[in-house]
Amino acid sequence: MKRKTGKADPIQVAVLQRRLKSITGEMGLTLLRTTRSPILNEARDFVTGLYDAKGRMLEQTEYIPVLAFALQPACEHVIRFFGGDVHPGDVILHNDVFSGGNQNNDVAVFKPVFAGAKLVAWAACKGHQADIGGAVQGGYNPEAREVWQEALRIPAVKIVERGKLRRDVWNLIFANIRLRIVEEDIKAQIGGCAVGERGVKALVARFGRERLERLLESLFDRTETMVRKEIAAIPDGTYRGESHAYYDGVTEGTRMKINLAVTVKGDAITFDFSGSSPQTPGFVNAPYSATASALLLTFLMLIRPDIPHNAGLLRPIRIVNPEGSFLNARFPAATTFGNSITGPTSDAIFRAFAQALPKMVTAGWNRFLGFAVSGHDPRRGLPYVDILFLALKGGSGATSGADGYDHIGLINCAGGILAQDYEMFEIHDPHFLLKHEYLPDSAGAGRWRGGLGVETEFVMRGENVTGVAFGDGVEEEARAFGFFGGRPGSRNSITLAYPDGTRRSAKSKEIIRGIPAGTVFNQKAGGGGGYGDPFERPAERVLAEVRDGLLSIEAARADYGVAIDPATLALDRERTAGLRKR
Amino acid sequence: MAFRIGIDVGGTFTDFQLMRARGRPAVHKELSTPADPSVAVMAGLAALAAAEAMPLTRFLGAVELIVHGTTVTTNAILTGNTARAGLLTTRGFRDALQMRRGVREQMYDNRYHPPEPLVPRRLRLPVTERVDAEGTVVTPLRAADVEQALERFRGEGVEAVAICFLHAHANSAHEEAAARIVRNRMPRAYLSVSSRVLPQVRFYERTSTTVLNAGVGPILSRYLANLTRRLAAAGFRRTLLVMQSNGGVAAPERVARLPAMTLLSGPAAAPAAGLACMAPRRERSFITVDMGGTSFDAALVLEGEPAVTTRGTVNRYALALPSMEINTIGAGGGSVAWIDEGGLLHMGPQSAGADPGPACYGRGGKEPTCTDANLVLGYLSAEYFAGGRMRLEARAAERAIREAVAAPLGMGVLEAAHGMFHVINVNMASAIREISIEKGYDPREFPLICAGGAGPVHGAYIAAELGIRRVIVPRDSPIFCASGMLRTDLKHDYVRSFARLLPERRAALPGVMALAREMEREAREALAAEGIARTHQRFRYSMDLRYLGQYHEVTVAVPRECIARSDWRAVRDRFHARHDRLYGYALREEATPVELLSIRLGALGVTAKPALARSPRAKTGARAALKAHRPVYLPERARFSKVPVYDGDRLTHGNRLAGPAIIESVNTSVFVPRGWRAQYDALDNCILSA
Repeated sequence: MKRKTGKADPIQVAVLQRRLKSITGEMGLTLLRTTRSPILNEARDFVTGLYDAKGRMLEQTEYIPVLAFALQPACEHVIRFFGGDVHPGDVILHNDVFSGGNQNNDVAVFKPVFAGAKLVAWAACKGHQADIGGAVQGGYNPEAREVWQEALRIPAVKIVERGKLRRDVWNLIFANIRLRIVEEDIKAQIGGCAVGERGVKALVARFGRERLERLLESLFDRTETMVRKEIAAIPDGTYRGESHAYYDGVTEGTRMKINLAVTVKGDAITFDFSGSSPQTPGFVNAPYSATASALLLTFLMLIRPDIPHNAGLLRPIRIVNPEGSFLNARFPAATTFGNSITGPTSDAIFRAFAQALPKMVTAGWNRFLGFAVSGHDPRRGLPYVDILFLALKGGSGATSGADGYDHIGLINCAGGILAQDYEMFEIHDPHFLLKHEYLPDSAGAGRWRGGLGVETEFVMRGENVTGVAFGDGVEEEARAFGFFGGRPGSRNSITLAYPDGTRRSAKSKEIIRGIPAGTVFNQKAGGGGGYGDPFERPAERVLAEVRDGLLSIEAARADYGVAIDPATLALDRERTAGLRKR
Repeated sequence: MAFRIGIDVGGTFTDFQLMRARGRPAVHKELSTPADPSVAVMAGLAALAAAEAMPLTRFLGAVELIVHGTTVTTNAILTGNTARAGLLTTRGFRDALQMRRGVREQMYDNRYHPPEPLVPRRLRLPVTERVDAEGTVVTPLRAADVEQALERFRGEGVEAVAICFLHAHANSAHEEAAARIVRNRMPRAYLSVSSRVLPQVRFYERTSTTVLNAGVGPILSRYLANLTRRLAAAGFRRTLLVMQSNGGVAAPERVARLPAMTLLSGPAAAPAAGLACMAPRRERSFITVDMGGTSFDAALVLEGEPAVTTRGTVNRYALALPSMEINTIGAGGGSVAWIDEGGLLHMGPQSAGADPGPACYGRGGKEPTCTDANLVLGYLSAEYFAGGRMRLEARAAERAIREAVAAPLGMGVLEAAHGMFHVINVNMASAIREISIEKGYDPREFPLICAGGAGPVHGAYIAAELGIRRVIVPRDSPIFCASGMLRTDLKHDYVRSFARLLPERRAALPGVMALAREMEREAREALAAEGIARTHQRFRYSMDLRYLGQYHEVTVAVPRECIARSDWRAVRDRFHARHDRLYGYALREEATPVELLSIRLGALGVTAKPALARSPRAKTGARAALKAHRPVYLPERARFSKVPVYDGDRLTHGNRLAGPAIIESVNTSVFVPRGWRAQYDALDNCILSA
């Protein structure tokens, strides 16, 4: 069903869209400048946005894709909860995953924007806090069984009322959080919202409230038109995709199934997750918003990249995700692993679209396997913590016309998070690197190959070190899948070689305590899946990768049917033709 | 009589400014010759000589200084025509160059791949060796690995060798040892050694910079040799200096050793040009913008110091050498208008360039551009474009706008043209926001210097978008960068890595002064070789500092005495203040330890600047320069009005006029909107105020 585009001046709509973009961008810059935690100002794990009085998205700047849908459901909840009890100068805090939140650590700040006495919009930002209470500092607790072991729940609460800080409420919240910088970072988020409020007020002054509303409706309509055009180009039908997440962190060998049916009808689309596995007893569960974000970021990769992010984008999309499954866990489930289910969710979506949009889907991305270390740095006599971003970034899936990205990392962030620089890493942490290179033969073979994985090895020289493994992709079947004849990428692994000669592999969800100094850490982040028949990959490209040392002569022969003389590294065309005949 | 000449080689035009001992400078524009840029340089010099009624040899014999801005290195990177380079690197880490730290620029686009690495993996060869973060040798260099790698390089026809080992910033012995082997075995190869190019921590950025340097080294050396030979043959005997990305100039020999210093030098003279044009008002803080045919460059200058960055990129390759912080976007006279599927109007970043150019050029261009809109709106004159050397076709412009913009949007041509004008102004204003607000500065606090052939038509509206109330259109607006080149100093940057915690009290940091003196010695040698007396040498120190646990450092200017006297409290205070300005907070009270990462020296060789030619006060009013009236679209009224058109070349010091008005000069056109006033200062700059 197509809406009629209003009479609003298209030039003014275009200008308004740029202005909104520059407001959310400026809110983001404010956070980059004023927050303290490196998770916010380095890893950029935050999102800024503007919403109208009904909670409809006006514009948004997400620094990593998994936050694309993290604010809007919470905004709707805040509006429902407070109803008419919202006043100029109010500031509302929220993180609760059972009322629209996406992850316990992601705390949102909402500030209503008034034109005179009338509520016209909400300025909001949400960032991943360095701590949120619960049993373990930082929030990743594979041993959690309920939300209270993970985090302090903050349902919608006013921390500033009509411009006056509610000190009692403020103290109650921060009395339950370990790190002082969280308090400062929330203040920074309030500052970011104030920047958004100022920007919206300037727009109201410039256009007038009524004209602004008209322009916004037109902007939504135009964005919706763009998205519907993209959807209408997909043949009607119901497409099914399936994938699994592995190991619930409680019982080894467990598998959780994602069951997805995508129905395209005209220019509308429904994503139905009914029939997915029930929620797990551990923390491998997603809140509704996390699954919706995973869905949206994958969908955005299937359509034109220049469509604005506003309510019009969401209109043609319907999500069915019944409560009680591990993709929409029921209260009081533990859910901190939820964002990390994005990988399996994307897999199911790409598989479902394989027949409908074969040129847009990618093969599987390497699943995220992270390792967070904390301990004592004897060089400085200080504690240290780090997440080994450089080690966890595997390859992405290939697509029609393009190889996957090498060493790009989890699809949640889609290449938005920096790997550490080697020299800074050694200055920062008591670690001595031995190796960080592409992992040969890790990429899934294909006409277009998957992205390469990476191998990292270093000596741990910290004392009293604890490591928390959290992720997926260690089992054979959890490898990044190939598409249309492409092969899977390699699997993930983490191995610790202790100074006494013993070795152990990390499970995908596990706390490892008491790692002695001198232990050699080795991680292999796997490659992405390949796309299309590897025998159709030009032999010259296969040869080039053999010469570059990224592909072994054996793999060139076995996977690609390309024969290369080991002595001269020359292509044997005759034998290649023979091998490829089959 | 002594001449000085600034020459700026751009993508479309090569600009010349000729300064005489006294009087106004002469200006010339020559079409660029990308295949061999020195052809246009020599042609322009011949034209300047002809204008002076002198034979070329005698003219060049009277030229005492040529400052040359070149884009040969930039173009080599943009077109992929770099020298064949090989990289020697520490075993276990040969992929850093290609990994680009595991990030991509477009999050949702799975086909937007990075450019091919400048050195393919088979030419990135590992050498067994290791130095730790403190500079201690952990594993000695295995010379046989180097020999073996060079064998491969020779077989593959490598002409340039880059060397980058882990922690060479802390100890360069292994790099130097490898360099000696390369010298012996491949004496003709261009050598680029990371600890000489950029002895600074951060392996990826250092590797990328060292490789860029290798890739353009042979190209720049050849070009400069060719140019100096041609100039010498034509009779030039005196000094040639080359513009660098850091806003300073250097002798050709030095630039040939560090060619990557020219990679971002295109717009680097703009801040110096801005300072010169602000001289009558003694203002030293401003924003400069330069809008040409395809791109728009914006820079912020604070207290006479342009912002400098060490996080530059060239064609998406990281370049960590200090360069002017200039934000370039695709917005210019040639920017193309297009409609997206939702029916929204966009301008650029694609450009029609000079060929076929905007539709109104009548050279077969069908797409509507910014210039077409400006013509339809009456801001440009069909008869007087480029001083009348080129006639514009208004009908072609209208047709292009009607077909590609007005008809699809269901509006009139005028309305569509105004929409194009408006949208591109908003885009340019956003680019200025990024260099001001992002750095913690409010653009409303600065005047806007608006240059470039296309800029002055838009200046007042860009300013209005940002709340800026004063716009300066420089007299030499169309050749803005060339005009800045003769006003720059020699400048060399040095850095030494020195990772320590900053002592709490006045405890000495052993070794820090030795590094400072070492850099000073190098700087003195370089400047002396360029003929700069010690009295004209200026040294400025800075330190890269951060709070312990942070990932990014802040470069803070530090007086030499603070380092010599171990006055770390003063250093810390400066760091807190700078951090506060940039990021909105400082950790003064928390007593968070401050970590020193490296120490930098900026060495200036102060050159004599030609005097600014001040005009006497006008004897006649602005009316004397009034040429005509013509209909011009006034956005505030949404209709055409008859507006006075002035001859800009006849307006001078003290002339004033009120908008709406158009001021036309040979290579540019100024639009003074309703409610704005224009006034000419002693340098014949046009000052617009709201």
